[in-house]
Amino acid sequence: MRAWLYLIAAAVAGAIVTTPALFVLILLGGTFNDALVAGLATLMLASAIAVVTMRDIIRCGLAMIVCFLALAGLYVSLGAVMVAATQVIVYIGAISVLILFAIMLTQDKVGSNRLVFQTQAAPAAIAAIIVAVLVSIAAAGTNWGAVSAAVRVATKDLANLLFGSYVLAFEAVSVLLLAAVIGGVFLAKREKDAG
Amino acid sequence: MGIAEQLNTYLTLSGALFAIGTFGFLARRNAISMLMSIELMLNAVNLAIVAFGAFIPNLKGDGAVIALLVIAVAAAEATVGLAIVIAIFRNRKTPLVDEYDAMRR
Repeated sequence: MRAWLYLIAAAVAGAIVTTPALFVLILLGGTFNDALVAGLATLMLASAIAVVTMRDIIRCGLAMIVCFLALAGLYVSLGAVMVAATQVIVYIGAISVLILFAIMLTQDKVGSNRLVFQTQAAPAAIAAIIVAVLVSIAAAGTNWGAVSAAVRVATKDLANLLFGSYVLAFEAVSVLLLAAVIGGVFLAKREKDAG
Repeated sequence: MGIAEQLNTYLTLSGALFAIGTFGFLARRNAISMLMSIELMLNAVNLAIVAFGAFIPNLKGDGAVIALLVIAVAAAEATVGLAIVIAIFRNRKTPLVDEYDAMRR
């Protein structure tokens, strides 16, 4: 019985994701790439909404992995293959697992039964909608100068840039990561004499 | 020109994802949910950076490099943030942020 419910839910979710892609492909006469971008964008936004609204926090974490995966697909369609690979390795492989571990360390049984949202949820929703509208208006109203078609960046050029003109930022990030590791170990360490 | 070849498509998507993250950060009670919303916002900014790098010829390559650096900084942020949440949970025995009221009593 429950298995059927899950199957039906999966079918509905798949329909929600594929409908915009088919809509773009057939009705608007877009290319296959357009349909792919529409489907990935819908998947990304739907799973992001699931992250901030679902009650069970473990499912929020799993929906966040789906969101990052769809975003990696968008990076590939933008031609940034290296960034997509790094997104999969770092976000899905490391950060999501870290967050899932932290969820399992800090949640109790009662926590998920209580209220999910704070009392300021309605003003927060209004503020979020205002942010989205303002960003869209600003993006549509700005002249970005010479805009070309999306270009694919070769990994060799990326490496030359990263270890050439951006080498100072690269070294600074390595020091920052070391500091973050030491700080994380220090903060999460159990103190011997609690006092 | 299709939607996949326009800069505004990706910028609008990025704005929508950032807004969803903003809502989650302001509205959720659970500290780890708030951290997940911050990750969503960082990803939204990354999408905008990669889109600029792909579409604007002067930024060819730079966008991808900056996106990689942002991902590394986000990893550092997630480490420290989750360590802080775990440390607070050890003292207060709750993950809900509105029960962290030691400084207003």
